[in-house]
Amino acid sequence: MLIEQLINGLTLGSIYVVVALGYTLVFGVLNIVNMGHGEIFMFGAFMGVIVTNSLGLPLYVAFLVAIIVTGILGYFLERFALRPLRGKEGVSHLAPLISTIGVSIFLENAAHHFFGAGNQPFRTSFSELNITIGSTTVYYVQILIFVIAILLMFGLTFWLSKTKAGKALRASAENLAVASLLGVNTKRVITQTVIIASAMGGIAGILVGIAFNSVNPQMGLSFGLKGLAIIILGGLGNVRGAMAGGLILGLSETFLVAYGNSGYRDAIAFIAIIVILIVRPQGLFGTSTSKSKG
Amino acid sequence: MLSELINPYYLQVATFILLNIILGVSIYITLGTGQLSLGHAGFMSIGAYTSAILTLNYNVPLVIGIIIAAVFTGFIGVLIGFPALRLQGVYLAIATLGFGEVIRVLFINWEGLTNGAIGIRGIPHLGREILSFSESLGFSPGMIGLKNNQFVSLAVFLVLLIISIGVIWFFIRQSNSRIGRAFASIKMDEEASEAMGINITYYKILAFGQGALLAGFAGALYAHLTAYISPSDFGYHRAVEILIFAIFGGSEVIWGPIFGAIFLSTMPEFLRVISEYRFMIYGALLVLMMAFRPQGLIDTNVVNWIKRPRLKKKEGKHGTGNKKDK
Repeated sequence: MLIEQLINGLTLGSIYVVVALGYTLVFGVLNIVNMGHGEIFMFGAFMGVIVTNSLGLPLYVAFLVAIIVTGILGYFLERFALRPLRGKEGVSHLAPLISTIGVSIFLENAAHHFFGAGNQPFRTSFSELNITIGSTTVYYVQILIFVIAILLMFGLTFWLSKTKAGKALRASAENLAVASLLGVNTKRVITQTVIIASAMGGIAGILVGIAFNSVNPQMGLSFGLKGLAIIILGGLGNVRGAMAGGLILGLSETFLVAYGNSGYRDAIAFIAIIVILIVRPQGLFGTSTSKSKG
Repeated sequence: MLSELINPYYLQVATFILLNIILGVSIYITLGTGQLSLGHAGFMSIGAYTSAILTLNYNVPLVIGIIIAAVFTGFIGVLIGFPALRLQGVYLAIATLGFGEVIRVLFINWEGLTNGAIGIRGIPHLGREILSFSESLGFSPGMIGLKNNQFVSLAVFLVLLIISIGVIWFFIRQSNSRIGRAFASIKMDEEASEAMGINITYYKILAFGQGALLAGFAGALYAHLTAYISPSDFGYHRAVEILIFAIFGGSEVIWGPIFGAIFLSTMPEFLRVISEYRFMIYGALLVLMMAFRPQGLIDTNVVNWIKRPRLKKKEGKHGTGNKKDK
């Protein structure tokens, strides 16, 4: 029982991590909280439903389609909601937040019109397959989710620390103006970052669809808000913090549902951020306080 | 003759526009000190539930219920205002968003008091209370040639109109006072204002509390206008809707959110297409406004431009309320 809950918690947590990484990447480079990320994630989930259920194609095609579609959405988000605000005189630091809220509202209601308001099931051929070790049952789906999440985390860490593009990204995150002076094409780095973050959102969307077997237009909001909570928990713009925060939230939610009052499950994330913002505003893993002005 | 002119439906729409104006002003007050709050839907729900529960379960008179609800929400706002002081910009926005969600989850789960996700029904209706009150005074709508429902809508509209004019008048007066100038100065530059001797803590909490009080007041009115509330009435969408009144209209002058509330609540009535795609249009509007006119449609320049010709006529008197027609 305990081990099963642990596995459930880790599965949920690793999904949260993938969602939160999308936020953290964008915040790290642009110092912007991308409120539209949750809805891009939701579009990814719907792409999965359409490809596997409606078209009957295999799951890996769903991943490809979701990555492409959410990448394009990410490009549009950067092009129309973020780029016009950059480097403009007299724009308050809240402007990008508000314009990405606009994107989120737009996408959510667009999904209402395209896909309908109800729940869509997300069935895969191996949804019910599981292995039993002793008294614990582990679903293949859970293993898949966990493996993909781990791969993404390592891939991202490797990409950020070892490749040239990753170095350019970190340089831009450090200081956009200096990076630009040193020959980094910051405009491209920014666009690239938003696209990669969005594509990760798309992957997370499919993972959530498989895990919960239900996809609806409102899921972007609930997961998006939790992703926000996680990056605040772990420290804004901090990749390791997002990973730890996601796992902590996933585990604590699962254990609350198993051993406590499940009704308050959705409140944990927000109570945690309110407490963390008061006690330790830089987040669990944040070190710099100069960034706390957001 | 009067009875032909009064259409309860239009009056109802107008009443909700007035309610939205109060909400728009409530976010304007908080934005006026540079604090972006996404928790106004939460404050609204606290007001709505307080008044609904007081009047239903404890037989508190409606007016007193609304007043207690507003004051209580203002008190919660002050309590939230203290930790909110430590946060700025994005952090504050997300924390207040979290606050709103916590309140919503709390109201869904606290079934003994709030009836959970089903919501509270049969809340005393403002209009019907006025009707029964006036009947107890020996007045019936028939005496001025009105049907009951016409009288109810008219009375509610007039009450809301008086309240909103009162609210707007109060905050215009305030913005020309010591407090209003302190707010404006904090919004411009917090550190400079502190150096000038302005008590930032006091004024920021005051603004937060006032915004919360007003949102709670509007929430209580909402509960007594619709006679039914549920936690889903006060979610993220409501918070964004309130915010967009101020963003679209402009948050520099009080006429901005008022114009925003009137325009955005009226448009869906005229164009059915708009009402179907309302939130998509809201979303696109937010993006466009930020890109092209981040200060909102109505800013100080527009107000000065509208006031200028009238000022000449009045030989430079200081008028404030010349824009009622907006």
